[in-house]
Amino acid sequence: MQSLKLFNLARNGSHFVRPFSVSAGAMQKATASGPSATPGYVYVNDKEPSMDMNAITDRAAQTLFWTELVRGFGVTLAHIFKEPATINYPFEKGPLSPRFRGEHALRRYPSGEERCIACKLCEAICPAQAITIEAEERADGSRRTTRYDIDMTKCIYCGFCQEACPVDAIVEGPNFEFSTETHEELLYNKEKLLNNGDKWESEIASNIHADHLYR
Amino acid sequence: MAKFLGLDKLGLLIKTIQHYGGIRASLYKLYRMDEVKIGKLVGTDKYGNKYFENPRFFYSRNRWVEYAPKYGMDYDGSQVPAEWYGWLHYKTDLLPMNDPSRPKYKWMADHTENRSGFPEQYTPYSTTTPKIEAWKPTKQ
Repeated sequence: MQSLKLFNLARNGSHFVRPFSVSAGAMQKATASGPSATPGYVYVNDKEPSMDMNAITDRAAQTLFWTELVRGFGVTLAHIFKEPATINYPFEKGPLSPRFRGEHALRRYPSGEERCIACKLCEAICPAQAITIEAEERADGSRRTTRYDIDMTKCIYCGFCQEACPVDAIVEGPNFEFSTETHEELLYNKEKLLNNGDKWESEIASNIHADHLYR
Repeated sequence: MAKFLGLDKLGLLIKTIQHYGGIRASLYKLYRMDEVKIGKLVGTDKYGNKYFENPRFFYSRNRWVEYAPKYGMDYDGSQVPAEWYGWLHYKTDLLPMNDPSRPKYKWMADHTENRSGFPEQYTPYSTTTPKIEAWKPTKQ
């Protein structure tokens, strides 16, 4: 009830505390005398400021007493007490898709045997030519890579390598927190990629499971 | 009426301070994590990081991690292990211990944080023998 009375007071009394253009009296005048007085339509363009004595005095008072400044500080003060709209990053993290293409990893079979068979399809499809593969016969006669290098600074994270891979060996894992201080740390070799796979297997397998109906 | 005047916020502040166990502990938490929030502890990983949830906050603020005390102020985003990564990034609502799609193989490695800039950082090296040998002129 108290607040209603205050509102009425402001409406009937001076427009000193409220900006002139939004005060109720001005709105009524503008809609009545505006170009389009048709009911159901709202005139949205700039209105001519009223030139009667009362309105001119109000505008002069607003300019002289800097009421915009006070209202602006009011907005600032209100925002201090509001809940922030941003996230507190290292503690809270943003949502991510299971298809997110982050840091590369080479996976293994459940037995621990590495999946990559050195077919070089990823090397062939890579549009940035970031992958270098060399293959040799292993002691047990199977075909394996001896070199699997990815230049992570050339990589454009398009995900073609994981789509080309016939054995799901090279994947773009979920990790995006692998920034480094030097360039050379981003020239990944086979050892590093296999380590990534061992580290992230839980999440990589979970992502593949989440997406298996669409593959 | 108390809600209209914002007195419930004051009550929440007192509750938060009690939750953390005193003004000193709350101030340390504020210094370390930039905010103090009450949440339900949903789990702890094997590195000591604690995971909280409070659905009162909006999406992407309602789950958070409190890094293990041993890290002190040297906490980093890459210290979240792969098991909890999906839950913290809202990929799944299943906690890692309840998720059947997460395998546990014996060759899976422990999580390591991003060690760039430290002595144990990764340095690239060749995994093959060089194919070209430099010519060493023999003495006549």
